Amino acid sequence: MKFSETYIGGILFASASLLTGLRTTLKEFFTPKVTEQYPENRATLKISERHRAMLYMPLDENGNNKCIACGLCQSACPNSTIIVKTKNIVDEESGKSKKVLDEYIYDLGSCMFCQLCVNACPKDAIAFNNQFENAVFDRKKLVIRLNK
Amino acid sequence: MNPIFIDIKEFPQRMQEYKDLKGMDFLRELIGMDWGEEGLGVIYILENSDTHENLEIAIKTTDREHPTLPTVCHLWSVAELYEREVYDFFGIHFTDHPDMRRLFLRNDWVGYPLRKDYDESEAINPVRMESEITEDVQREYEIKEEAELKKINAQTNRISGDQYVINIGPQHPATHGVLRFRLALEGEEIRKIDIHCGYIHRGIEKMSEKLTYPQILGLTDRLDYLSAHQNRHALCMCIEKAMGIEVTDRTQYIRTIMDELQRIDSHLLFLSCAAMDLGAITAFIYGFRDREKILDIFEEVTGGRLIQNYNTIGGVQADITPGFAKKVKEYCEYQKSKIKEYNDVFTNNIITQLRMKGVGRITLDDAISYGCTGGTGRASGWACDVRKRHPYAIYDKVEFKEIIYKRGDCYDRFKVRIDEIKESIHIIEQIIDNIPEGDYKVKTKPIIRIPEGQYTAAVEGSRGEFGVFIESHGEKSPYRIKFRPMGLPLIAAMHKILKGTKIADLIAIGATLDYVIPDIDR
Amino acid sequence: MYNFEIITSAIDHFLHSVMPAQLAVITECVLIAVCTLVAYVAFAIVMIFMERKVCAAFQCRLGPTRVGFWGLLQVFADVFKMLIKEIISINNSDSLLYRLAPYLVVLSSILTFSCLPFDKGLQVLDFNVGVFFLMAASSFGVLGILLAGWSSNNKFSMIGAMRSGAQMISYELSIGLCMLTMVVLSGTMQISEIVEQQVDGWFIFKGHLPAVVAFIIYLIAGNAETNRAPFDLPEAESELTAGYHTEYSGMHFGFFYVAEFMNLFIVAGIASTLFLGGWTPLYIKGFDSFNAIMDYIPGIVWFLGKTFFLIWVLMWFRWTFPRLRVDHVPTLEWKYMVPIGLVNLLIMTICVVMNWIF
Repeated sequence: MKFSETYIGGILFASASLLTGLRTTLKEFFTPKVTEQYPENRATLKISERHRAMLYMPLDENGNNKCIACGLCQSACPNSTIIVKTKNIVDEESGKSKKVLDEYIYDLGSCMFCQLCVNACPKDAIAFNNQFENAVFDRKKLVIRLNK
Repeated sequence: MNPIFIDIKEFPQRMQEYKDLKGMDFLRELIGMDWGEEGLGVIYILENSDTHENLEIAIKTTDREHPTLPTVCHLWSVAELYEREVYDFFGIHFTDHPDMRRLFLRNDWVGYPLRKDYDESEAINPVRMESEITEDVQREYEIKEEAELKKINAQTNRISGDQYVINIGPQHPATHGVLRFRLALEGEEIRKIDIHCGYIHRGIEKMSEKLTYPQILGLTDRLDYLSAHQNRHALCMCIEKAMGIEVTDRTQYIRTIMDELQRIDSHLLFLSCAAMDLGAITAFIYGFRDREKILDIFEEVTGGRLIQNYNTIGGVQADITPGFAKKVKEYCEYQKSKIKEYNDVFTNNIITQLRMKGVGRITLDDAISYGCTGGTGRASGWACDVRKRHPYAIYDKVEFKEIIYKRGDCYDRFKVRIDEIKESIHIIEQIIDNIPEGDYKVKTKPIIRIPEGQYTAAVEGSRGEFGVFIESHGEKSPYRIKFRPMGLPLIAAMHKILKGTKIADLIAIGATLDYVIPDIDR
Repeated sequence: MYNFEIITSAIDHFLHSVMPAQLAVITECVLIAVCTLVAYVAFAIVMIFMERKVCAAFQCRLGPTRVGFWGLLQVFADVFKMLIKEIISINNSDSLLYRLAPYLVVLSSILTFSCLPFDKGLQVLDFNVGVFFLMAASSFGVLGILLAGWSSNNKFSMIGAMRSGAQMISYELSIGLCMLTMVVLSGTMQISEIVEQQVDGWFIFKGHLPAVVAFIIYLIAGNAETNRAPFDLPEAESELTAGYHTEYSGMHFGFFYVAEFMNLFIVAGIASTLFLGGWTPLYIKGFDSFNAIMDYIPGIVWFLGKTFFLIWVLMWFRWTFPRLRVDHVPTLEWKYMVPIGLVNLLIMTICVVMNWIF
């Protein structure tokens, strides 16, 4: 029979293991705490660049987006999150009718951030940004028109 | 993969032979199939637990009205739940199965959803507003005359009425999600147990039949959210194998590192939650504090913390960031110093030891028969690590130990995971400095079609073997996709190990089996 | 040395001088009741706040920081929330017992609370069998818990209540043995007398080994008495969701909650009275100037200082250890603590008889 299995040994062994635990927590009692005080730390908060929070359309220097209304993103989306509405305009120079983007509707509420739309886009017209503070009181507010 | 078709009449005997003579003691997968005109059937993937030799068997019946097939649950215990799943989705009755109830769907569900002729209209299965009546009666079927099937053989109550029955779950702090145990108690002791799944069943396999392959990838992260990387890795591997895509070395290295980080992440969550279930809330916070550092690394590289969406067909979504290696190495150093803290405050504690040692033992035979892979199987002495059995990525190039314990009780299951954290750190340290240069992704066609055929792939997920089975008919989406759940075998084994234990032991056993409900329910 | 009797007797004289004797007694009773209740609630609030902060510190967290400076108003916000919550009545529950149970629990802990000697002369109940009364009062709290579990018509509550009954009744034995050990040392059961005897040296020093053993056993058993981790089986949130008070809401739940915290205070208070000298200052023989400085610190500060230190220790236990299993609780009690307590009592008696005490 091992000493730790005897009556007295058991008590000593148990007490030792309990004291080890107490020592560990006592040490943590005095170590700096790890709580992140969001939103007070907004200024120092670091969100990684790749973090996918919300789809947006990067604009070029003239304030235009690069979307050509091809609809690839819409068909790539598993959740029907994106609806690309198009309209036809007549090009002034050539006089031909051309399909352009009318409205780019994005439903943040059903997006699962799989990045397939971004991958599918041939013109890099859409991307994810870091704006993660998306809480709203009404689901309808999550349906966003991306092109301005 | 080319399964051997066996005739129904010979089937029971042949299966017995495979098990007894060829040593096929591990039922890797049991896949229900609907081949349309050719009939309904089941594919079995068997494995010899010593030689790791695989055998694929198939069986089918053309009767769509009352499809009946012989059961194998007396050979492999795990088949009991697997066959219930097949019954639930395909309506195939298994004769001599002791408990033919639906597993995931409601008892009043009409039709069998994974059949190709299933009517999806909402008129048939409306959203029901009344609560489900628990079906307590289990039925057993036998073949009366050849193919003249279906007579109720036995009808017994799972849990009889006069016992002290309590429900643990579906909303309960210790079930880690929405799982429900009906327990018949005598004092504090458990006499009978009945498990109800399906509270978070999303029909991912059914959904996948309509999605394209890249779209399915998005769903894999949501099966077992603590093995998100590994699940996705498995599906990517399966598709790449089918399409003959050779991924670059760099991809393989990145995938391996990510898999191992994910494993540490999952094991940290496991040990924190196990601690909390046993009442040590402080240890819980310590684990979560350190897990946060992995999530930060994930966020930086993949853009997601829990659901990373990182693996894609032919590579990974984005190259690793420049500071990645340094961060991971820092983390590894940090984590190593913290494992002692967990041990001091929780593992070596006498109360923990008393609660875990000798509780909820799974013998080696049971572990194999129930297919309890992962840490649970290894705690029972079964060398079931897919990374060793069927190496993938670069696991055959790195040196690591397969952690194996003998007793198979809660304490061993806990220790296996703690040691695996160390082993995972060891793997990462070997390869983090040697990531080869190259492309992180190979170009694939814009529209991915898999050539006709059946394909499988398996990885070692955080809590067991995660397998993917695809049957493709050359379309954009799979004809049938099946994910091998890591948790369902563990749940099946609970039946056996819970009898005669106490409520408090149920908590300890549930915590150390380490199941994740969305993975069971899919 | 301060003496609160001067103040209390001054009030007594004043009341007797302005009104007839009977009315004065009734007024005093009301005054004391109000004071006790106010003190009871005040300490409960302090302790709930302390628990949250101490627990947070052990877990590398900050704890409440939002409501008021450093989260100081958090507890008030909680109490307010609890007060405005609906008290739910449950179908098929025994409604009389269901409503009675929380009051029983609170009553028991208030009675025990009034036995605590906060300072010389600052004690509500003090008579020759004080220790005896203390135990009697504290032990009927279990009745409330049993009734709560029984009357809720909930299987989880029932299991919790049964666990609680088994646990509290068995651990009362250890508490009794430890108190008896100290009664042997002091030779009296009057609480004020016990404290007076410790002016020249706390019992834990006077009684050396047996007193230290009794102290440790008392802390463990006291922890079990209050149903706190590692002995929180009656609640065991991961097993029984909330145990015996699963079905209680609003202030009824609040009573259980407050009573649990105050029981902790009472356990710590009694431990500091019996072992650490209550309101008596720390004296070191030979250091007269040191002793004189110690005298300047009021007795109530000494008492509360010791009590809160012990509370901190008990919280330290609570936030370190996992929960015991239901069969380990009686094992610990009957196999370890009772035999050791009995032997300890014997040793103490021998020490006292042979005059081996300091």
